[in-house]
Amino acid sequence: MPAVAQAKKIITISGSTSVFPLETQLARKWIKTKKGKGVGFKILQGGSNVGISDVSKGRVSIGASSRDPANGDPGGLVFTRIARDAICIITNNSNPLGNITQDTISKIFLGPTYTNWNQVPNAPISGSIDPIGRAATSGTHDAFRNIFLGGTNQGSFVAAKSSNGLVQQGVQSDPQAIGYVSLAFTNGVHVVQYNGVDCTLRNAASFQYGGVRSFYFVTRGAPVGKVKKFINWVLHSNKANKIIGSDWVPLH
Amino acid sequence: MLGALACVVLALIAGMIFFVFQKAWPSFTHNGFAWFSPWAGGNVDDELVHIFESPGEPSQYVYTMHAWPLIYATVLITFCAVVIATAFALLSSMFIVEFAPEGIRRVLEPVVRLLAAVPSVIYGLIGILVIVPFVGNHLVTSGQKDSVAGVIQLNGFSIGVGILILTVMITPIMIAIVVDALRAVPVGWREGSVSLGVNRWRALWTVSVRAARPAIVAAAVLATARALGEAIMLSMVTGSVGFAPNPLDGLIFFYEPGRPLAATIVDNAEGLSVVPFAQTLYAYAAVLLISAGFLSFTGWYIRRRLRRYTLSPI
Repeated sequence: MPAVAQAKKIITISGSTSVFPLETQLARKWIKTKKGKGVGFKILQGGSNVGISDVSKGRVSIGASSRDPANGDPGGLVFTRIARDAICIITNNSNPLGNITQDTISKIFLGPTYTNWNQVPNAPISGSIDPIGRAATSGTHDAFRNIFLGGTNQGSFVAAKSSNGLVQQGVQSDPQAIGYVSLAFTNGVHVVQYNGVDCTLRNAASFQYGGVRSFYFVTRGAPVGKVKKFINWVLHSNKANKIIGSDWVPLH
Repeated sequence: MLGALACVVLALIAGMIFFVFQKAWPSFTHNGFAWFSPWAGGNVDDELVHIFESPGEPSQYVYTMHAWPLIYATVLITFCAVVIATAFALLSSMFIVEFAPEGIRRVLEPVVRLLAAVPSVIYGLIGILVIVPFVGNHLVTSGQKDSVAGVIQLNGFSIGVGILILTVMITPIMIAIVVDALRAVPVGWREGSVSLGVNRWRALWTVSVRAARPAIVAAAVLATARALGEAIMLSMVTGSVGFAPNPLDGLIFFYEPGRPLAATIVDNAEGLSVVPFAQTLYAYAAVLLISAGFLSFTGWYIRRRLRRYTLSPI
């Protein structure tokens, strides 16, 4: 970003829609602290890939990403992990499936080897399976692929919704559906245990739950100035930790 | 002054067309005719993923795109909705103009105009909360679901629901235009035919509707344009799968999912930062632009041919 003389320092953030609620709360709290006084924030969404591309071109000071660094990312970027988030496997409330293994998930979302619920071990219902997922451009799709599917893309028969809320709604209205969403979107649906562990904040924090992804602040080179102070505050202050702990998983 | 304003608008449109085509060009040149071809094969969603994941080197960009299922879904949904809506709109405007009692007409007309202005996202919400679950849980049988399991899902998200809601969305626009046109037909024309002993219905059909044909075409063109560009509502209810429904499947044809071009752009807007992916989305936009242009040209031509039968200035 070209050096512009400004009376008020402004930190700009763009990127993941999943990180957006968290970064907004953090920014709001930080400008009330001593170090953050007089700093302004401009926060935009657009998706993890937008954030990463924006920050690499110097359009924003911080890119927010809900996916891990990838090989194709521009060089010179520094990914700072700020929090963790759990991805839950959800089914309709009338299909209270007890537990699902990674193997079963692969057979439903990749194959499809399993197309009927009676093929799924211990499934309470029968009938065809309706897998619902996210569009390939979303960070949640990327995280689901890397954590649950071993790096392979979900099959093209999976309905590719454009937001967490649409997946949640799709599963809520269809007794035979199965889908994956961020932990914050599990109201009104049944949350399935993954490899025998409940999808909760507590289990995600203790790393017993396997479906955990990271939220990152991405900067071009190591963070400097106010950006550095903000990120340090997010990483180390108790206040920030409390905000993160309300809906996400703190790092410590 | 006014001329300058008009020129600015023209320049804006020309600039937009140039910009979209310039962005879209690589996608078309890399695929050639296969971009549009129904026989190109391949899965459009897999192709989108590959384009999205193409390496950062410009020389290694992936562009393979056989967009037929998306084009097909766009044409299918638009065509069905416009045909049904035209029939409905014509009959209801005839009722409003000629047969409705004054009390009903006074309620009906403002309601129709109000309906024409409802934002599409509201229709989308109604679709996703009410109609899609109803179709998925009550109309589709488990036998039908099983017959296509593993290929597509029949869970209510379907082109049928898309067509239904789109019809509801565009019918009021058409009614509003056709009603005005029927009223504009000179009273003497119809009175003349009635005085010759023709009944009301026949006079309306053979004189008024005939004279209003250019307006009916104009209404259909406007409705088609709205249906072509409809993105949000269709992205919410038609199933988010790049699948080309097959009429030979019988009744479940209307339960099958599909995804039109405009909805694909909306669903994938997050990937605009990936250069070849953005170019592919611009290619969709270019196809929509061309169809809109083609549509207004056809509409203009048909209206010109029909105008000899009418005095109506429309």
